[in-house]
Amino acid sequence: MSESLRLEVDRRDGLAVIYTEGYINNQGGEEIARAAYQLIEGGHQTLLLNLTGTKIVNSIGISILIEIIEKMMEIGGRLAFCCLTPTIEKTFHIMGLAQYAGIYPDEPAAVHGLAPGAGDGPPAGA
Amino acid sequence: MSSARTAASATGWEELEELARRDPAGRPYLERLLVRWAEEAGAAGAALYVERDGALRRELVAGEGSFPGRLEGGELQGGTVHRVDGGAVAALGAAGPAGGPPPQPATLLLASALRALTLGERLKRQLFQESYRVVELESLYEVGLAIAATLDLDQLSEEILLRAVSLLDARRGALYRREGDDFRLDRTFGGDAREALAADAPELAELLAARARASDGEAGSSGVPAGPVGLLPGARHLLAVPVGIDGRPRGLLVVGDKESRRGVGPFGASDRRTLSMFANQAAIALENARLHRQALEKERLERELELAAEIQRQLLPEGAPEVPGYELVGWNRPARTVGGDYYDMLPRDDGRIALTVADVTGKGIGAALLVSTLHSALRLSIGPAGDATALAARLNRHILDSSAANKFITLLTAELDPATGGIAYVNAGHNPGLLLRAGAGREVVELEPGGLPLGLLPGSAYRGGTAELAPGDLLCLYTDGITECASPADEEFGVGRLVDCLAELRAAPLPEVVAAIDRRTRDFADGLPQLDDQTLILLRRRPA
Repeated sequence: MSESLRLEVDRRDGLAVIYTEGYINNQGGEEIARAAYQLIEGGHQTLLLNLTGTKIVNSIGISILIEIIEKMMEIGGRLAFCCLTPTIEKTFHIMGLAQYAGIYPDEPAAVHGLAPGAGDGPPAGA
Repeated sequence: MSSARTAASATGWEELEELARRDPAGRPYLERLLVRWAEEAGAAGAALYVERDGALRRELVAGEGSFPGRLEGGELQGGTVHRVDGGAVAALGAAGPAGGPPPQPATLLLASALRALTLGERLKRQLFQESYRVVELESLYEVGLAIAATLDLDQLSEEILLRAVSLLDARRGALYRREGDDFRLDRTFGGDAREALAADAPELAELLAARARASDGEAGSSGVPAGPVGLLPGARHLLAVPVGIDGRPRGLLVVGDKESRRGVGPFGASDRRTLSMFANQAAIALENARLHRQALEKERLERELELAAEIQRQLLPEGAPEVPGYELVGWNRPARTVGGDYYDMLPRDDGRIALTVADVTGKGIGAALLVSTLHSALRLSIGPAGDATALAARLNRHILDSSAANKFITLLTAELDPATGGIAYVNAGHNPGLLLRAGAGREVVELEPGGLPLGLLPGSAYRGGTAELAPGDLLCLYTDGITECASPADEEFGVGRLVDCLAELRAAPLPEVVAAIDRRTRDFADGLPQLDDQTLILLRRRPA
């Protein structure tokens, strides 16, 4: 099982999707943050984190994800997650991430939910 | 939080009051307040430093100048530093009161905002830690309940390892299962792990007993044992707990290198408690899954055995052929689902009938497979009538070629000419057939062995014999499961009791004779389980 996180970024009109594969820990979280801040600097205000390839996240990774959410809130942007394992989804709810970021079961639902005019707040969860 | 540089521009008290009302610890308020402070201090640039983890770390920058990320020793080269509660304000290029007293009331307001900021951060950290404690408890709960419902052993092992690594903020981990005297690697996460280690290795005992251990890199400096060599190669810090039930270790859970934002470090006492609780829950879940897998395997074997039994039943005659002037019945009951006894009642083209009983050494699947081989060989090898000894020799060769060295078969085959009552037989190491003469006495003719069991030696020769079945005579071919049936006193049923039964029921219908023999052997065993397969062929010539 791979330790390091692999990322892919898909830039679309008005939306950037970050695909992760591997452990979201300190290193993995920093990589996601780096990619997210680059996208923000590049003008993207709507980000989707697709966690299909991630089965595990630790508290350091979560704290970094919270910082990304805070950054998005500072700039008035939106962030959502999709394709979470049941364990990760439950963890995100307990840790309060779901209050400030949308959580969707799959990418089409997330893209629809993040579309302009789809709603101001995050959905109640998947 | 990353530091931010804010533009220096005139900031009025009204604007600051409005921003403070919105959020007294918010960044917009802090940024504008720092700008105001720099203006009043006559500084070209100013930076706000917050005390975190014992160091002054840069939070905000206003105006011009280069400010380091950390204020080493609380001083700024070429500038001034004013300590406030919870941090400091640094100024560069001060034109006014630099070096003198800081501007009031901007400094007081900055200190107050800084206190609100650090207090907010502390609350946020506490909330995060408490929330994550809920995640830990939730994981323990789920391992006990939800995961216990996962009966797929592989999936469960994977889930347990991932949760352990995640819960402990570990960078890597490994799960071992106990096999005999060793722990064998089941799976690993985040890197390689040693494949096996002796369960009684002293260095493992030390690791399990330690509150938290450093491994190779720090062993020398801390004096803490490193644990088994190469347990998690490259890991600097290890924590291991047994996965056991009732004090019996079934496995080992190892995590390596606890993460923080600053890198990796050792695990603490609370980590050990958490991992131990988790491992206790995991042990029960793993045991449930293991027992479930065993049950499934047993069920599969039982299904296969039942199928084998069905196949074996197909090898035995469905009923006895009609032989005018004679009564004939066959009966078999295996000791297990499948057995090593065999019998056949095969009518020949010329009206003769070949009766065969056989007993394969051993019981169960191995014996049943050889029974199947014998059945095929017998049907394919049977030659012209009166050729019993040649048949035995052919069967001997075939069984020798197609069975294990320690497997052999005793067999008695007798060919009846219904017209005359003549019997030609060959007995390959089997129990002698019993021919009970008609009349009131107990005169018995035995169909004695004329050679070794089939499959014992190559080139075995067989001597046949003949007998004659007179009206009222009863022939009994049987296997030793009947005569060697044992009582609780360890006495055998024996040939004598079998002959008694045949003699007492010499005129009864043959199914009744079979039922009587079955009943008497059961009574004799007095509840002991049947240890060997039992087979009977009874042939009686009707009285004239």
